[in-house]
Amino acid sequence: MKRIAALLMALLRDWSRSRETVFFVVLFPIILLVIFSTVFASSAPSFGLVVQNGDIGPGGEPTNLSATFVDRLESIDPLEIKHIDADRNLTEWSRGSDGDSRRVLVLPDGFAEDVRAQSARVRIGIIRDTVARFQDDMNDSERANVQRGLEQAEREIARNATGATLQFYAPPDDQSAAVVRGILSTVLAEFNQRSIGVEEPPVSLESGTIGSAGLTATDYYLPAFIATLVLINGVMTVPGVIAGFHQDGTLKRLVATPLRKRDWILANVLQQSLLALVLTGVMLLVAAVLFGVSAIPSPLSIALVLLGAIAFSALGMTLGCLLPNPDAATSLGGIVAFPMMFLSGVFWEIDIMPETLQTIGRLMPLYQFHRGLRRLLIVGTTDGVWPAFATLGGMALVFVGLAIRLTRWRDFEE
Amino acid sequence: MTTAEGESVIEVSDLRKTYGETVAVDEVSFDIRDEEVFALVGPNGAGKTTTVEILECLRTPSGGSAAVLGRDVTRESRAIKAEIGVVPQSFHTFDRLTVRENVALIRRLYEEGLEVDAVLDELDLAEWAGTPFRSLSGGLQRRTGMAMALVGDPAVLFLDEPTTGLDPDARRTTWEQIDRLAERGTSVVLTTHYMEEVERLAHRAALLLDGSIEAIDTVPNLIDRYGGSIKVVVRSSGEVVGEGSPSEGALRAILDDAATEVYRTKTGDLVGLFEERERAQESYSQLHEHSDGRAIDLVSAGMEDVFLRLAGGTPDARGELE
Repeated sequence: MKRIAALLMALLRDWSRSRETVFFVVLFPIILLVIFSTVFASSAPSFGLVVQNGDIGPGGEPTNLSATFVDRLESIDPLEIKHIDADRNLTEWSRGSDGDSRRVLVLPDGFAEDVRAQSARVRIGIIRDTVARFQDDMNDSERANVQRGLEQAEREIARNATGATLQFYAPPDDQSAAVVRGILSTVLAEFNQRSIGVEEPPVSLESGTIGSAGLTATDYYLPAFIATLVLINGVMTVPGVIAGFHQDGTLKRLVATPLRKRDWILANVLQQSLLALVLTGVMLLVAAVLFGVSAIPSPLSIALVLLGAIAFSALGMTLGCLLPNPDAATSLGGIVAFPMMFLSGVFWEIDIMPETLQTIGRLMPLYQFHRGLRRLLIVGTTDGVWPAFATLGGMALVFVGLAIRLTRWRDFEE
Repeated sequence: MTTAEGESVIEVSDLRKTYGETVAVDEVSFDIRDEEVFALVGPNGAGKTTTVEILECLRTPSGGSAAVLGRDVTRESRAIKAEIGVVPQSFHTFDRLTVRENVALIRRLYEEGLEVDAVLDELDLAEWAGTPFRSLSGGLQRRTGMAMALVGDPAVLFLDEPTTGLDPDARRTTWEQIDRLAERGTSVVLTTHYMEEVERLAHRAALLLDGSIEAIDTVPNLIDRYGGSIKVVVRSSGEVVGEGSPSEGALRAILDDAATEVYRTKTGDLVGLFEERERAQESYSQLHEHSDGRAIDLVSAGMEDVFLRLAGGTPDARGELE
């Protein structure tokens, strides 16, 4: 124990005196936290949409109905509407576009007329249906008058009117196109209802938030940051450091003393665990002071951070043993860490990925770690956190064992 | 320097180390006695470092046996490590820790040992105790390594090429420190390719070539046996002088008649070894008459001559055989 403590102190001192390391491990994540929290807390997402209104009246102005439709679009918060002239060639325009507003909605010529015709046809259909239901209560004369009136109305509707069709164009790599299409569908449904005289829809939707009241965007991003930091520290930083100790002879000097291999492994894992705790504390403090987060770490959440640090730094030590070159070891850590970060649903919902990737993502230890932290820190429940403890605990056991097995204590490569 | 007599602290028998087809250490046997400074001498690649790393329990032997302080190097490594101090050839430690912090760290890894400050004082490191390791000169870094090796109060100290790359002042300081250790009774195992270092420090030496011991004895005995007590050197003129040339033949004949042994170095010098100074002096005078302008020197023999005789050349500053 005395040896582990001595080595732990030496490792911490050596670490704390490296300005570059302290910057990247402590300050850089804090800067990221501040940037992310500021950006996500202060502004809702917005989606650009270019509208080409081709339904121009005789006076050269858009028809009333098409203008009303565009006005409704402009009143939707997430949409940022821009306009292009009705006679502009879309293909040419898209070549010259700066790429910021590449989604286009086209209202065709005759939009208003088509809407009115289709609306009248639907209304007539409704009247016919209503008359059919109540025909037993009508005499022959009344039925004939209604029939004549409906036939006259149908004759006045343009024969070729089939309803208006809007055209929505988006580039193939536009990941927000589906969201914009959804918003447009909602606006269209509302417009269609009103056009046939339904002012108060029979079914409506109200939305709100779930979870603890008063939580900010920062609260929700904190577990993601903490989990990612622990991962990066353990899987990307530790392999390079360990390989560096191999390469420069520091480890060889230590091996020539009575120090045990397991003491070396444990001291390094403990160092990373202490760093993870300090980092978590610093992040919570910064988030509390700057963004007023209300997440208070419980003993269980602290235990989960510790377990994550042990598991990921043990994995890092194992990787550091495989390649004695620090650069190569860091790269190997990156190969392991980056897919985990992208696939585990830490910074975006795992549901937006293809099904196969979702399955892979859910198998990643970072997925469980992040979910467990979110439940403990943000939701404030212990429900569903045990898979995280089991995953990280198993991983810690396996990789501490592997690190002890793979760390060379004799026969160093020169 | 006299030969130390005492019990063996290290016993090596038929020690062998191979890397695939390459034989690094080939059935080497020797012992090192208590309170002795023992030098393993040889050019790069001779097997010196491999041999001492086996004794330091840092490398696994492929065959034979080795015991340090009566303990087997493969089975009792931890007990051995508690009793030895090591300054590896490519020594390095925690860069950003100070000299005192590095030495104190190593002290805490041993159950028993010396006071950190006392060791720093002994090695004249007190002045740099608060300096980070990375800010030290090469000589001071090596001295810090020595302090780290000594702070566990070792019975045997291993110094692998302790002065390679050091300037003359730093080298002299290191020698003085090794002298002090020897006076204190610490057994020192030294690997080096500097012959001057061997003559200056070692009681006994083993000459390693291609993984095998060519000669092992006290340094004076090695010089007597292989170097001769005095030698006459006919320097190479720089021009190629064939062995059959008239002047070369005459010079060689003079040496052959009078010297106990005559050999040619790789640089072309012709060397005659003599047991008696008078005979060497006579030959020196005769050689001058037939020298044909070539320089002729009368010099005392040393380890370099032992090396020349056994290896056919001497190691340069980097340890490569010339």
